[in-house]
Amino acid sequence: MQDTASNKQLNPNGKKKFEMTYKRQKLLWAVVFLLPWFIGLLLLFIVPFFQSLNYSFYKLTPQVGSILFEHVGFDNYLYALNQHVSTSTSTSFSVEMINTMTDVAFNLPVLLIFSLFMAVLLNMKFKGRAIVRAIFFVPVILNSAAVASALGGGSIMTEILEQQGIGQIFDLHFFLLQTGIPEFMVNFVVGLIDRIYDILSLSGVPILLFLASIQSIPKHLYEAAKIEGATGYETFWLITLPNVSPHILTVVVYALVDTFLTSPVSGIIQHELNTQNWGLSSAMAWIYVLFILGTLLVVFLLAKIFKVGGSHYEH
Amino acid sequence: MNIKITADRTLGKLTLVEAAKEHGKQLRRIRKFQSILLSVLRGLLLGGLCFIILYPVIQQVLLGLRAPIDSNDPSVIWIPKNWSLQNFELAAIVLDYWNSLVNTFKLSGISMVLQVASTALAGYAFSRLKFRGSNILFFFVILTIIIPPQALSLAQYLYFREIGIVGSENAIYLMSGLGQGIRSGIFIYIFRSFFQGLPKELEEAAQVDGASVFRIFWNVMLPNARGAIVTVGLFAFVWQWNDTYYASIFNISSEAFPILTMRLVNAAENVYAALFYTGGLSLIGQDVWSNPMFLATISNVAALLMMLPLLIMYLFVQRQFVESIERTGIVG
Repeated sequence: MQDTASNKQLNPNGKKKFEMTYKRQKLLWAVVFLLPWFIGLLLLFIVPFFQSLNYSFYKLTPQVGSILFEHVGFDNYLYALNQHVSTSTSTSFSVEMINTMTDVAFNLPVLLIFSLFMAVLLNMKFKGRAIVRAIFFVPVILNSAAVASALGGGSIMTEILEQQGIGQIFDLHFFLLQTGIPEFMVNFVVGLIDRIYDILSLSGVPILLFLASIQSIPKHLYEAAKIEGATGYETFWLITLPNVSPHILTVVVYALVDTFLTSPVSGIIQHELNTQNWGLSSAMAWIYVLFILGTLLVVFLLAKIFKVGGSHYEH
Repeated sequence: MNIKITADRTLGKLTLVEAAKEHGKQLRRIRKFQSILLSVLRGLLLGGLCFIILYPVIQQVLLGLRAPIDSNDPSVIWIPKNWSLQNFELAAIVLDYWNSLVNTFKLSGISMVLQVASTALAGYAFSRLKFRGSNILFFFVILTIIIPPQALSLAQYLYFREIGIVGSENAIYLMSGLGQGIRSGIFIYIFRSFFQGLPKELEEAAQVDGASVFRIFWNVMLPNARGAIVTVGLFAFVWQWNDTYYASIFNISSEAFPILTMRLVNAAENVYAALFYTGGLSLIGQDVWSNPMFLATISNVAALLMMLPLLIMYLFVQRQFVESIERTGIVG
């Protein structure tokens, strides 16, 4: 740290009028500590943020040494929503956007319940807990778009395996339909089972967050409950859940951002960016931002209504 | 629990009625049965989920270990008939493995150090060096978490092109060093909650002893923050290692500076072409490389090769990692 030199200069003053200067020292160091981040925020966040808003109203054509700007109003937005068909995946932006939104609506509650449940399980004491925990965070390590695309090549392989009749031992979809369960329910359940690996790989960090928050619950609460003769079921509902609930919001925000980032929509935006449809990609990114902000707003409103996230113990 | 108890006045003590004793025994038996049932169910569930997680890795390892000729043999499904490392050799050629491994290590390592440094400083300032308006600034941290990078990339790209660092790894270093790298916002959040959780007495004691603000940070707070540093460091490293987004936007990967993810993505798009250009085709017969199964195998093995260093490193740090998260109190 090159700042230690200036630090030594400060010290002599600090010894005499300690009370006064310690506060000032704090302010000074706060500025020093925040400076790199603040420069980054200005140069790499705030300025690009408004610039991209500006770009989204233009048609940008790169030329040698410069970029040609052509004002087109809301054309980029309208094109993205109405006409766009991606050349790479042959799906359209609006369809993928709607798919992502429905995915979020269905997956998020499942993800939340699943990761809380897993966190409670992983928090119990049993043999081999360390190994199981280590395995559970492997998807966090391996969660990569590059690996996914390489394994996408493996779809040929699963097809071959299926032709040989190994892939499917018994058809769950068919089986459930025969029992007379309504079709949309069957589709939901089968869809969940098909996506179990996706859910597992998305739930790595949420499980970590929940685990950390369960660990931070004071142990004496559980001890007292045990002495009073409460069952595990009761302690979960009356101690674990209320104490974890302030962190549910954190997990929701994280999971939401993560789902959006790994969705095909961001793939489409990236593709348009790489093929130099810059104005269009900015407009898409802005639609995408608006959708995320809208979803977050809904989540926060729901949290307000159901009073999730407030402190459990009123002091 | 209601257990009948009779009071014996002459003896002056309480005794259980026989029936109540029997009831207690029964209750204990039920409890025991419940706990066995619970552990069996838990074992089944966790075992199944662990299998789902490990299945692709096991499949890839077994696929990789078979000889290329086995791809043409429909009777080989799981266990290879002819064990060989040739698939790994071919995938390594396709990825330009050793060069890209070194480059990826360098890129992830340096950006990890920069990320940890910049986010730890910012997190400390937000939690311990509060001033008027610092909460407003922290709101911007939350914004950087929420706003997707896609909304910013174009303007960042044009800016980087202006200052001439597009196409080199410096673009990543600049972003990491200025606290705007991959998910830096989350790291600042983690450090902030962590430093907030440290007792105030630590700071006060050091202050009474005449330590300056920087010394308190460097000699008192930072050594206590090992858990948070391990967590953030691991995530920063892994996310940089796996990143394809920034690498492709800023053209980091090139012939002179290949990195694993981009090589893998390019190879996965067209395994045949990748094998052709790197001269891997000449090492095997036409009957093998015309089989799509073989090409898919190579792309799988390439993915495995990319993940392998991370998996090995994770084996070493996992205990510290999982335990540190418990102690960090990420969520305060």
